[in-house]
Amino acid sequence: MTVMAVVMLYPFAVMIVTSFKSQAQYFAGSGTSTQSWRQLASTMPIYQQLLNSTIVCSASIALILVVGVMAGFAFAKLQYRFANLIFLGIVSAMMVPLQSIIMPEFVNVARFGLTSSYLGAVLVYAALGTPFSIFLFTTYFRRVPDELVEAGICDGLGYWGVLWRLALPMALPAIATVTVLQFIQIWDDLLVGLLFLQNPAERPITVGLAALAAGRTTSIPLLMAGSLVSALPAMLVYLGFQRFLVRGLTLGIDR
Amino acid sequence: MAEIVFDRVVKTYAGGVTAVSDLSLTVAEGEFMVLVGPSGCGKTTALRMVAGLEEITDGTVAIGGTVVNNVLPKDRDIAMVFQNYALYPQMTVGQNMGFALKVRNVPKAEIDRRVREAAQILRLTEYLDRRPKALSGGQRQRVAMGRAIVREPRAFLMDEPLSNLDAQLRVEMRTEITRIQRMLGVATIYVTHDQTEAMTMGDRVAVMRNGVLHQVAAPQDLYDHPVNEFVAGFIGSPPMNLIVAGLAEEAGEWVVRIGDQSFVLPRSYRASHRLAPFVGGRVVFGIRPEDLSLATGEEGVRLAAVVELREALGSEKLAYLSFGADEGIVESETPTDDGAPLRRRSRVVARLGARADVAEGQHVTMSLNDAHFHFFDPDTGDTLRHAAP
Repeated sequence: MTVMAVVMLYPFAVMIVTSFKSQAQYFAGSGTSTQSWRQLASTMPIYQQLLNSTIVCSASIALILVVGVMAGFAFAKLQYRFANLIFLGIVSAMMVPLQSIIMPEFVNVARFGLTSSYLGAVLVYAALGTPFSIFLFTTYFRRVPDELVEAGICDGLGYWGVLWRLALPMALPAIATVTVLQFIQIWDDLLVGLLFLQNPAERPITVGLAALAAGRTTSIPLLMAGSLVSALPAMLVYLGFQRFLVRGLTLGIDR
Repeated sequence: MAEIVFDRVVKTYAGGVTAVSDLSLTVAEGEFMVLVGPSGCGKTTALRMVAGLEEITDGTVAIGGTVVNNVLPKDRDIAMVFQNYALYPQMTVGQNMGFALKVRNVPKAEIDRRVREAAQILRLTEYLDRRPKALSGGQRQRVAMGRAIVREPRAFLMDEPLSNLDAQLRVEMRTEITRIQRMLGVATIYVTHDQTEAMTMGDRVAVMRNGVLHQVAAPQDLYDHPVNEFVAGFIGSPPMNLIVAGLAEEAGEWVVRIGDQSFVLPRSYRASHRLAPFVGGRVVFGIRPEDLSLATGEEGVRLAAVVELREALGSEKLAYLSFGADEGIVESETPTDDGAPLRRRSRVVARLGARADVAEGQHVTMSLNDAHFHFFDPDTGDTLRHAAP
């Protein structure tokens, strides 16, 4: 455990120590400075990029949750033709790697003129995250006894009412799981942001960092400071929801 | 309050499986009707059709004079109690009980009043702020009842609500549910596979098998006058003894032969039963375990038997006897109308007093209570008793 902890935490320690050095101190290997942190805001529009990442993340996750909850409930509790086949098709989509479909996706989104707005990236992220979300919510709602749904119906609810007033409050662990996993994935993603958010004012933090690293002279301490700022929200979200995450991820395992 | 009427109701699932076949049954206002039968007999399906949770393939279900085939469950004004209680885990006991009223936009003060009243009836007042997971099985069952009561519905539907409770609690809740139902006087359909529940709780009991309703009657009537071998064997614990016997005429008397023994049938049975066509052939002879006793004198109908097994239950002893007839299970040659052949075990059980002196292997003489003989058609399994005028 200790060895694992050291292996996992060492890169963070290096990032933190390096970020508190100037370029010269970094090469000299000694001394501390807050210069790179002060430089960060002036070198790149970091606040705007953080805001962009937040907007794209929030909108994508909202879409993923809404579609996932409704489809998951339908797959788990409603009976209709070809439900299993459709579910299988959707779940299979989880296995398709992003890189293999990124070009056709880009062409499609570009044709709709959505590469210079948040919407294009949001739709792509939502499309990529929804299969997992549907899978998880279906698994979750299948564990909700049918009698509970029927009790709700006898109590005067329709299926919508059962979903929003009974099933959804019970699905909080699944909602937390999807939120955390998708947040980490979308927040840390570079490729979609790079391709589908072409307006510089709408770039997310990961694209900003990539630009920082791609300059002719790269300041490593500056890059470390930026990377820390970028990694912090994902870490906080993970730590905050860790409890639910474990419950949510073991949904299909325990009974 | 309202009566519930099934009129030639049929339920056929996709794939052609018929769960309920031509069910006609009326549950009167305020009546406690128990649907009983073995697993898969269609009793729960029938209940769910009243609730609107299953579509009706054919026929009609009416509640309070209105056909509800196409009425949504929420508009049927019925309350259902489920086998696993189906309490909402995220709500407190009070919220669970008041939820249906909240959905119907009943004012909060009225909801509180009704919930408190129901909680008082069910002795749940101190648990109103707890969540279901903090309650015992019996308390959860009472909450499920409370959720139904506060609705003040036109009918209660209960789907094996006691089957998840332990034996002692089940007995307690049996009387509790009966008390509440009598107090509220709401038409109730109660589904169970437990014939003890059926006998103790119902005003009338409907016995089903393979989707077919076999008999509807008051519990004692059902016990005393089963319409066929299935009902005779299903109601009662231990069930009625059913023995394939010969029926012959000797010197003007009708004689029942069991193995190599025989007894003269009292003449009253000639009038009360349609036995004449079977004289010279076979009938199925039925006798309840409590109508067999150890003979003390020379009078009455008596048969010699060997005690094969003895079970002492404390308050009584069960003696498993052999009358010397063919051993094993005897199946009828023709299947009944619901497709299953009749099965009759030739071993006989007698319910004896707690102090009865019997031992395994002992030869005994049994006295048969000749006021309570039953006779069934060996081919169809139907009773040979004439219907009461």
